Amino acid sequence: MTAIYVGFILLIAYAKPLLATRIAPGLSLGILLGVLVILAAWLLILVYVRWANRHYDTALAALRRQSDI
Amino acid sequence: MNGASQPNIVAMGGFVLFIGLSLVITWMAARRTKSTEHFFAAGRSITGTQNGLALAGDYMSAASFLGIAGLVSLSGFDGLIYSIGFLVGWPVVMFLIAEPLRNLGKYTFTDVVAFRLKQTPVRVASAIGGLAVVAFYLIAQMVGAGNLIRLLFGLPYETAVVIVGVVMLGYVLFGGMLATTWVQIVKAVLLLGGAFLLAMLVLVKFSMNPLALFDAAAQQYGEAVLAPGRLVSDPLDAISLGIALMFGTAGLPHILMRFYTVPDAKTARVSVSVATAAIGAFYLLTFILGFGAMVLVGQDAIRAVDAGGNMAAPLLAEVVGGQAFLGFIAAVAFATILAVVAGLTLAGAAALSHDIWVSVVRHGRATEREQFVLARASTVLLAIASILLGIAFKGQNVAYMVGLAFAIAASANFPALILSIFWRGFTTRGAQFSMIAGTVSALALIYLSPAIQVDILKAESAWFPLRNPGIITIPLSFLVGIVVSLASPEPEAARRFAEVEHRIHFGE
Repeated sequence: MTAIYVGFILLIAYAKPLLATRIAPGLSLGILLGVLVILAAWLLILVYVRWANRHYDTALAALRRQSDI
Repeated sequence: MNGASQPNIVAMGGFVLFIGLSLVITWMAARRTKSTEHFFAAGRSITGTQNGLALAGDYMSAASFLGIAGLVSLSGFDGLIYSIGFLVGWPVVMFLIAEPLRNLGKYTFTDVVAFRLKQTPVRVASAIGGLAVVAFYLIAQMVGAGNLIRLLFGLPYETAVVIVGVVMLGYVLFGGMLATTWVQIVKAVLLLGGAFLLAMLVLVKFSMNPLALFDAAAQQYGEAVLAPGRLVSDPLDAISLGIALMFGTAGLPHILMRFYTVPDAKTARVSVSVATAAIGAFYLLTFILGFGAMVLVGQDAIRAVDAGGNMAAPLLAEVVGGQAFLGFIAAVAFATILAVVAGLTLAGAAALSHDIWVSVVRHGRATEREQFVLARASTVLLAIASILLGIAFKGQNVAYMVGLAFAIAASANFPALILSIFWRGFTTRGAQFSMIAGTVSALALIYLSPAIQVDILKAESAWFPLRNPGIITIPLSFLVGIVVSLASPEPEAARRFAEVEHRIHFGE
C-alpha cells in the first residue's frame, strides 16, 4: 500500500504532465489513478482480513495449544 | 446565490430541526448504553461493524466533508490528494497497529507506549503531543462551524465562532461522556447518507455520468483542474503532505482509542475493514461533490463566501436541493463538528488534567473532586483557546488545517508507537525525546511556514518553504527516538519486550 501511494505521490510531484494526459473526455490519468488507489486500499484490506482469518489465526491457535500443554 | 449572504427561514428551520433531532437521538442512544451494567466493560463488547462505523464517524469530521469538497472545487485535482491521503492511512493502521494496539492497550495509546517503560515521563511527553494535535484539529472544526453559522444566519464570522465555541462548551460540559460510540455511529450514517444524496442530485444533472461532470469542469475552468499542480506546486510539498496524511492516521489519539472498545484482535480487524469501506466510499463521493460545486456553484461564488472554500458543499446543496436541503446538509455538518469536538475536547481535557496536573504537579495524589474540577476547567480553557485560534485562522481551508494536525500526530505519536511495539531497544528517554522532538519541530515548522507567516502574519516570505512539515519532522522524530535510546540503554525495558511480543500475538 505504501508503495502504491508513494508511487502516486511521486507521480504527482514529478510527473505532472503525465497525470494530465486525457484518456477519455473528462477523465485524466490522474483522476483514474486516484480512484484506483482508493480501490487498491479496499482490496488490500480485504485480502489481509481473509489471510488473517484463515492462516494467521489458525497458526496462533496451534501455538496456543502447544504452550498450554 | 442570494442565500449566501442573508439568513433564510427555511434553511434555518431545517437546520434547527435536524440539530434538535440528532441531539435527541444521540441522547436516547447514549442513555441506553449508560444503563447497561458495566460502562467500560460493555465498551469492550461493541461489535466490529458498530465500531467500524464509529471509527468512520470519528474520522470523517466535517473538516473532510467541508474542507475537501472546498479544496476540490477551488483547485480541482489537488484537492483529491487529500481525499486519497486521508484514506491510505487506514491500511497502515490495519497492518501495523490495529491488532497490537488492541492486545496491548487499556484505554489510551499512551498505555501502549508506556507499557514497558516508566509511566510518568512518557505520559507527560505524550500529553503535550496529544494537546498539540487536538488544538489543530479543534481549530479546523471551529473554522468550519463558524463559516456554517455565518452562511446560515448571516452573522459576522467572529461572532459566529464565539457562538459556536459557547454552544460546543455547553454540549461538552452537559453531554460529556454520554455522547460516545452511538453519537459517532448515527453521525457516520447521516453524513454518508447526506453526501450520497447530494452526489446523486449532482449526477442527475449530468445524466449519471461522472465523466460528463469532470468534462464540464474542464471546459469551464480549463484542462488544468483535472491535473495536479495548483495547490502543491513544489514536489517536496506534495511528498511531505502525502506522508503526513498517511502516517498521521496512526497517531491520532481519538482514533486509536477506539481499538480498546472491541473484544479481540479479530473484531479490531473487522472494524478497520468496515471503517475503510465507509471512509473510502465517502471520499469517492467528495470527487463528485467538489467538481459538482466547481461547475454548478462556480469558483467565484464559493470564494466570495469563504476564502478557504469551506462552504462549497452547503452552497452546492442549496443549488441542487433548495433551502431545505441546505439546512439539512448544514445540520449534518454541524452535528458532525459537535460530535468530533466533544471527543477532542474530552481527550484534550483528560491530557491536561490527568496526565499533566495529577501525574506531574500533584505526583499522583489528587482527590476525585480536584480532578473533576480540573477536567471542567481544562475544558473551558480549551474552548477559549480554540475560539481565539479559530478567529486567527479565518479563511484557511479546514482540510488543510486537519492536514497540519495529521503532521503533528505523525511526528509526535506515530514514531514512538511503532518503536515501542517493534523495537526491543526502545527506552523511556527515547520515547520522551522522540515525542517532544516531533511535537516541537512540527509546531515550529508550521509557525515558520507560508500559511502562518504569509497568510496570517502578512510577512513577505516564509523562512520554511513547505506548507506541511511532515517530510522533515517524521524522520527526525524516528531518528531522535533511536539515537537517544541507543545512548541510554534501559535493561528493564528490553527485558519486558518479550512480554510485549507475547501480548501482541495472544492478547491478555
